[in-house]
Amino acid sequence: MQSSMSRRSLEEMATRRDRSGSLWLVQAFSGLLLVLILGAHMIAHHFIVEGGLRDYQQVLDYVANPFVFIIEIVFVITATAHALLGARAIVLDLRPSAATMRVVNWVLVAVGAVAIGYGLWLAVALQRAAGA
Amino acid sequence: MDNIQPTTDPVRPKAPLRSWFDVRGRSLSTLAFALNRLTAIGLTIYLFLHLAVLSLLLRGPEGWDQFVALAKNPAFLLLDVVLLFGVVYHMANGIRVALVGMGVAHTRQKSLFYVLVGIALVAFVVGAVLIFVE
Repeated sequence: MQSSMSRRSLEEMATRRDRSGSLWLVQAFSGLLLVLILGAHMIAHHFIVEGGLRDYQQVLDYVANPFVFIIEIVFVITATAHALLGARAIVLDLRPSAATMRVVNWVLVAVGAVAIGYGLWLAVALQRAAGA
Repeated sequence: MDNIQPTTDPVRPKAPLRSWFDVRGRSLSTLAFALNRLTAIGLTIYLFLHLAVLSLLLRGPEGWDQFVALAKNPAFLLLDVVLLFGVVYHMANGIRVALVGMGVAHTRQKSLFYVLVGIALVAFVVGAVLIFVE
């Protein structure tokens, strides 16, 4: 009984490590994707625009382009996922208890869902305003 | 939800948060790690502020164009420079961490750090000048 429980807990630990490894890979690949998207975002929004920021009409003209619209949505999702996975890693560094970490995980998922939902809603609203 | 790492790792410092700010006798990689974490926190806060500020677009030209005028204030531009530093440093060090973590150039991570952060610093100086010139 003892040895079967030990074996099971070892298997659980291995599974958890696999999942942490998967989350690390998501963090790494989302980071590399962000290098491209954020780089393009900063150049498009701040460095090639006269005055450094688009005015209202320029923003609408920009998001009216379907390609830009899709890139901006991918950007919101990738940046939010990367940021919240990073926040989770920081919390893990503070040596929380397993119970605290469960709560933190749910809070981060909720914050991520709200942020991504809001970002998508905003992008759609702006595209509608651009078409109006 | 249950992918929780063990928190009893003996190599982790006992007070991790305080250790980020204690630079005495630290190796370059520890300092790089600490700065990466600090820039990550700043950028995460900025991401959510940025999303909130974008809601001004829903108020039409009055709301957004007023904000654009405010954002061209020199104090605001200085904050943009700080933000740019955070972005380019986090980007450069993040590329190093991702590459080394995937087993690429892990024996040359110090050189990788100097090259990538060097490129980031050049991008930062060019970007900072453009922020104030434009």
